[in-house]
Amino acid sequence: MPLLSQNEEKNIINDSLIGFNQKYGIRAGFDLSKLGRTIFDSYYSGFEINADYRITKSLYIAGELGFENKKTDTDYLISKASGSYFKAGIDYNLYNNWAGMENLIFSGFRVGISSFGQDREEYKIYDSYNQTWGEISNQENLEFNGLASTWIELLFGVKTEIINNLFLSFNVQLKVRLTETNPNNFENIFIPGFGRTYDSTKIGTGINYSISYLIPIFKKKSVINRN
Amino acid sequence: MRYTLLFFLLLSLFCCEPDDICSQNTQTTPRLVIDFYDIENLSSKKSVAGLFAIGINGQGDEINVIGESVETRDRIELPLDGNYNESRFKLYKNYNVVDGVVEGNPDIISINYNTESIYVSRACGYKNNYSINEFDIDNDVDLWIVLSEVIINQVENENLGHVQIFH
Repeated sequence: MPLLSQNEEKNIINDSLIGFNQKYGIRAGFDLSKLGRTIFDSYYSGFEINADYRITKSLYIAGELGFENKKTDTDYLISKASGSYFKAGIDYNLYNNWAGMENLIFSGFRVGISSFGQDREEYKIYDSYNQTWGEISNQENLEFNGLASTWIELLFGVKTEIINNLFLSFNVQLKVRLTETNPNNFENIFIPGFGRTYDSTKIGTGINYSISYLIPIFKKKSVINRN
Repeated sequence: MRYTLLFFLLLSLFCCEPDDICSQNTQTTPRLVIDFYDIENLSSKKSVAGLFAIGINGQGDEINVIGESVETRDRIELPLDGNYNESRFKLYKNYNVVDGVVEGNPDIISINYNTESIYVSRACGYKNNYSINEFDIDNDVDLWIVLSEVIINQVENENLGHVQIFH
């Protein structure tokens, strides 16, 4: 696949119309923020690969695959969640690129699913009057396996081509949990791919900072008015 | 771009984490609640003069009950020991300390129960609930307690009295 220079991308069709090529292909990459967090956060390790495929000028199908391992340590509870997840959906480019440019400001939608387990490592009994008989803590490690959860996500982000076919992308996610299997006499503190859970709501949030490479498959000619 | 701002605003709502504080309103481990009634009028409550409770541990040592003070009242709350299946207390009537000498009439009660640890939340961890098997009064020469009855044997909250003592 020959790489065309910036000039060859555009051709003047006539005085008022410019035609330019848009690249169609598979873009694949990985999440730098999760890699960074793995290095700097001793309670976290995780990795995510992502990919997208352009189907029309503004529409892409996209997906992410990853695993996460997160330890949560509060005054009364120490637990660890570990598992993998898969998300699939679409990205829609809201940005009108100048001729020859491939940047995106996009909104997107995903359906996510996670398969994970939780370890309850230690808990304390919350008793305001425990100064009488003494604090009680339980250090028996209890494993909950075969847990699963599904959710939907709304994304908003930017993808910028920094050098030829290499993209940096940043997005924020608003998620809503749909289903989850609940461990007996416990709860899902953290769900891989979804993030930490909250007591009062099924909403979650996330961010993603990725680097990816576009493997061009073909080019489509797109025509715009010179104005 | 307005929507970007709205989106980020929405996300910022999750910056602070109220889930990480166990609020006072949350029901956690309850104490045993004893109501005192009149032996001559079984349905009416009767205060105990100078009531004061002291815990007794497995070795027979006296244990201070946190928050406890001498008071004439018709209700008392006692924390149960979640480490064992039994808790014992000295319940004093007319408790008084004169020149370092403890006066009053102590009756010893013992409660036998099963403990269950129940998950509350990530901030509170777990609470204990108790299921009373037995409530006994040790026999002594001068009992001020005449009779006792377990009314609610599931100790889950402090709303209603679990045990009634008649004197």
